[in-house]
Amino acid sequence: MKAEYINSFYNASKDVFKLMLDLEVKRGEVAVVEGLTPSKDANIILGITGDFKGTVSFSFTEEMALEIVRIMSGMEMDEIDVFVSSALGEVTNIISGHATTNLSEHGYICDITPPQVMVGEYKSISMANEKALIMPMETNIGEFEVAVFVPTK
Amino acid sequence: MWKDYYSIGVETIDDQHKELFKNLGDFIMLVRDKEIKWEDRLDKAKETLDFLQGYVVFHFDDEEKFQESINYPDIEIHKEAHRQFKEGINEYVEIFNEGGFTEDKMQEFSAKLMTWLIMHVGKMDQEIGKFVREMEGEGEQ
Repeated sequence: MKAEYINSFYNASKDVFKLMLDLEVKRGEVAVVEGLTPSKDANIILGITGDFKGTVSFSFTEEMALEIVRIMSGMEMDEIDVFVSSALGEVTNIISGHATTNLSEHGYICDITPPQVMVGEYKSISMANEKALIMPMETNIGEFEVAVFVPTK
Repeated sequence: MWKDYYSIGVETIDDQHKELFKNLGDFIMLVRDKEIKWEDRLDKAKETLDFLQGYVVFHFDDEEKFQESINYPDIEIHKEAHRQFKEGINEYVEIFNEGGFTEDKMQEFSAKLMTWLIMHVGKMDQEIGKFVREMEGEGEQ
């Protein structure tokens, strides 16, 4: 997998978190995982089409998900409800949009499919026969993970 | 909802943004209010949605006029972002008109509108402020 791919998602997360939440994002060590990847309380999956085909997932703990939406809305959130899921889905949609813009600057033309938000009951995410690059991202309000899946050839 | 770092330093635009965030905040509180039955909140929610939709159009028009007045170089890109933003709202209004105004759909919409507005004001509109400051800086030299 090209470094640009994962870097574009890191840079996009960093930019969008700064702009929307006034938070800095630091990346942790990238790990390669085959098959199942662990998930957190709120998982958002988006498809990528075009020059890079695959899937990206964002995983947040409940605490962090609620805090993100609290910062945005200025209102206390007590559960991952429709409002919180919708806001999270849209934030990751914007991040992925920025990532594809970054990729286009490297000459790769990609598009994203609308986010699917999965809350709670999913203990792991599996993309059949796919390798995933998992990148932990640290912020002042907690850690989240971005996993990029690309089909193995 | 408003945060000082959303400010772009152009008073009329900042005031309109504050008004937008204030009304969006009221809208969100209304559609998330679990104390009152949805039927009893619906009329007020529709009214607020109408107001927000109208105010977004008024504000975007005004902001575009301001951009014209300062010969803002990225005006066409900005206009396109405004067009997409309005289209996003119109798509939901269509869903509401066709499928009824359900509480879940209204909550989903209010969250997206919040995200779009923060992103638009936090990114694209900041560029206008930057341009104005650069222009003023040159004027002083």
